[in-house]
Amino acid sequence: MAELAHDPYAENALDIMFPPPEGGHGGHGHHESTGIDNRKLGMWVFLSSEFLFFGALITNYLLFKGRDFGADALYPVELYDIPFTSISSFVLLMSSLTMVLAHSSLARGDQEQTRVWLMATATLGLVFISGQFFEFTEFVNQGLKLNVNPAASAFYMLTGFHGAHVVIGVLMLLSLWGFSIRRGGLSEDHGMNLELVGLYWHFVDIVWIALFVIVYLIR
Amino acid sequence: MTTEIAHDEHHVRHPEPKDYVKIAVVLAVLTVMEVSLYYIEVNVEGIGQRITVPLLLILSGLKFVIVVGWFMHLRFEKSFLAKFFSVGAVLALVLYFIALAALGAVHFFG
Repeated sequence: MAELAHDPYAENALDIMFPPPEGGHGGHGHHESTGIDNRKLGMWVFLSSEFLFFGALITNYLLFKGRDFGADALYPVELYDIPFTSISSFVLLMSSLTMVLAHSSLARGDQEQTRVWLMATATLGLVFISGQFFEFTEFVNQGLKLNVNPAASAFYMLTGFHGAHVVIGVLMLLSLWGFSIRRGGLSEDHGMNLELVGLYWHFVDIVWIALFVIVYLIR
Repeated sequence: MTTEIAHDEHHVRHPEPKDYVKIAVVLAVLTVMEVSLYYIEVNVEGIGQRITVPLLLILSGLKFVIVVGWFMHLRFEKSFLAKFFSVGAVLALVLYFIALAALGAVHFFG
């Protein structure tokens, strides 16, 4: 800190790193002029790009959904099991609840509860992925392979990429859980990591909210 | 010494765990309504996609806003972030709608 005080830019740096208390929390060296932590802002920007990515995949799916590929063509809509997919949707929705409960537990300083909710979220994510895997297997067994027609390809691309995002989210959740076990709890920095993973996980849920309606429920 | 997560939000009362459970119940009810609409459209004559599709989109839009606002804490963040995300989302949706309309793919309305 002494060396920073002699730096002509130190005053700004110190102000940024340790802003005057506003009746609450101090800075943590990661704030921009927006007042939002760099890492959080970065995650929101990343999620915005993911929003565009999935928007493009959904648009692609809608373009091919209603096209005619011949009398013998097989379409995803003919094979949907709505009750099964509804249960999968409910599972993913509840995983968002457990994720936010993990965040809330950590904010209260309850490390044990945080681990419980993190593991619950990861488990629900794995249940969802298992359901997707089962569904894809059933579709393939009934003849709807990836390359059978563009509508099938678009369906698998869209739901497959979403599934991949869920898998990545589960890995991040298990990593956080592992950190917590190994270090006896999540530090303040890791607390921000939990918040970032939480944002990612909720976004994955939001994408499924859109997919479930657009792909499955709108015939 | 309790561990606290770094916050950038102004000091608004954040939901407590029981509030999150209530929000989850609301989301579950909205999901049930969506699935019900699907079966109503399939089984009830006269209820076509012109009625169910807008309702489904509204319900999913509500769920989207609830998850983003409460679970992702956007309503407790600085307004700059909410505006950044909202404006971007609206622009992206307009763009996709234009692309779909231009390519003649709005037939999903029935």
